[in-house]
Amino acid sequence: MHLEERKDVDMLHLNQENRSGKLTRKQRKNLKKTARLTSLYIVVATLVLVLLTPVFFLAITSFMSNREAYTFPLPILPAAKVKLQLETTEKGFMLSILNRKTENYETLLDTNDPEKFSYYTDIYLNLMISEEEAAELFQNTTEAGGILQFKERVNWFNNYRVFFTVTRDAVPALIRSLEIALFTIIISLSIGGMAGYAFARYIFKGKNALKFSVLFVRMFPAVAIAMPMVIILADMGLYDQPLGLSLVYSVGQIGLTVWITASIFMGIPVAFEEAAMVFGSNKFGAFMKITLPLALPGLAACAMYAFLGAWNETVSAIILTQFKPTFAVVVYQTLLGATGQVNLLAAGGLAMALPAVIFTLFIRKYINQMWGGMTI
Amino acid sequence: METSVLVQKRTQTPRQKLNKAIPYLLVAPVLIYYMLFWLRPVIKSLISSFTAMEGGFTLQNYLMVFRDPSFVTALRNTAVITIFSVTLEFILALALALIINRKFKGSGGLLFIALVPMALPPVAAAAIWQTGLTSHGWLNSLLTNIGILQDGAKFYFLTGSEWQNILLIIIIDAWQVIPSVMIILLAGLQNLPPEAKEAGLVFGGNKLTVLRRITLPMLKPTITTAVILRLISAIQIWLILVIMFGFNRLPVLLERVIYYKEEVPGIQFADQMAITYTIVVSLIVSITAIIYLQVSGAFGRKEGR
Repeated sequence: MHLEERKDVDMLHLNQENRSGKLTRKQRKNLKKTARLTSLYIVVATLVLVLLTPVFFLAITSFMSNREAYTFPLPILPAAKVKLQLETTEKGFMLSILNRKTENYETLLDTNDPEKFSYYTDIYLNLMISEEEAAELFQNTTEAGGILQFKERVNWFNNYRVFFTVTRDAVPALIRSLEIALFTIIISLSIGGMAGYAFARYIFKGKNALKFSVLFVRMFPAVAIAMPMVIILADMGLYDQPLGLSLVYSVGQIGLTVWITASIFMGIPVAFEEAAMVFGSNKFGAFMKITLPLALPGLAACAMYAFLGAWNETVSAIILTQFKPTFAVVVYQTLLGATGQVNLLAAGGLAMALPAVIFTLFIRKYINQMWGGMTI
Repeated sequence: METSVLVQKRTQTPRQKLNKAIPYLLVAPVLIYYMLFWLRPVIKSLISSFTAMEGGFTLQNYLMVFRDPSFVTALRNTAVITIFSVTLEFILALALALIINRKFKGSGGLLFIALVPMALPPVAAAAIWQTGLTSHGWLNSLLTNIGILQDGAKFYFLTGSEWQNILLIIIIDAWQVIPSVMIILLAGLQNLPPEAKEAGLVFGGNKLTVLRRITLPMLKPTITTAVILRLISAIQIWLILVIMFGFNRLPVLLERVIYYKEEVPGIQFADQMAITYTIVVSLIVSITAIIYLQVSGAFGRKEGR
């Protein structure tokens, strides 16, 4: 009744407004909705732009040649192909490159040594010109009457090749980091998973105290245990060893694993296990046959979490390694000692970021869930 | 008849005992692990922070830390960075969460993108800003390309005053952290029953009062969680700052630890200093953590779920 009355009033308004040539109520409402939606998208777009621009620039810097990385302002995208020119001179051959902005050729190098030519174009321009090809180019220039213009493809991944070959220890460090992550996953998932199951299925004395200590240990600064662990690990013969590092990393990871696995097991009804036991399975068998397969996706996410924790950890790794750094430490040291070579730094940084971002993509559902129920 | 009951009882008792022991057996590995690799090192560093170089009890290490001219600066910088970054991050994240709190096309994609900065390893984030903030870095290039800077003019981000440097660190940290705080708050907002808000509006509240009187109080648990977790990690900011400014230029507590441990090698007092600094940091973080656990109710919950 009340509603209908209002409708009538609305209609009245509508008619009046129509007559006076202003916007109708409905139109105004639509306009308001559109405005709200537009402003929402503006906020979202700005946010996305602010979040991704720095990552984007790290990525493109990592593909740039030395020459590009040190021009100002930087090009928006690294060149895929460059136009080069060779000219015969008294000394040998002069190499110039076409500047895309000014459309002029800039002189780079004057040599008649194919080896030097090949090395220079590799390091400075990220080109792949072998010595034989260089010699051929020289010959072609002479045959063409002293001047030759040609295009070359740029190898975008050259910085990565250089980073991993030039940086001492980069490849072994990468392997070690993966090894450490694997050990950390095994330790924290087995130990933490058991406790998580106990938390989900049993009521026992001291549960709250344990819950509290798990959270507390998780929040305790990693650096505080890393320092004394130097001596403890040295006594065990595990100092500067992947296994030793993963023992330390697991301390923080176990807490998270307990937490996540507990919520995973809570989501699987006890009735399933009981049903299996009715059909003659024992408790362990019921767990293995029913609960574990159901929990597997969650456990995989949990493993990825442990991987991320181990892969990203830097402070403990700096303190606990000496001659066998992890990949994070290698990148840290290149960053700290950086006297240029921005593009190489970027390559190292991106190599470090890539696995982390990919794993996050896989577990984002769980991250969002977990944050929703942060207070266990 | 009677005997059979008795027999049954006898045979079942060990089994029941075992059943009762299962949860303890399951949590025992965690406890043992924590004893060996958490409690032991923590006690060890506590003891060595009270031990003189020649052995014997001493307070000398703490005196040395407190008299360290950079200690007060480090403490002050840590406090300033923590307080300002957490406040700024929280306010902006809450504002964004309130704006974005509705279903729209691409909201899933946004949630993933928002996770990216937080997912970046600290060294990768440091690489981003190291390549970006040098005078010929990508930020100046970007500003030139979009016309804000002209004629080769540049901002010199890294040579500012101490306060400018702190501001820079706060902004970088905000970039990395705001999106994930926003996600935590969004998750909290989406768990709220919509009826509460509607009731507030029906009873004549305007949007602001509904936000202040209904939404925010109901969101309080999520807010405390987000804020205290942020406090704990903000106290431990160091890597980005060292990569940007090097050691000693903008000392913070954790940077002091790494400085004494790694950059002053071979001298024993440096190790003692580093350990004592870690105790100070741990103490501050522990107090924050305990407050968090207290507030979030981890103590007071009933046994069981």
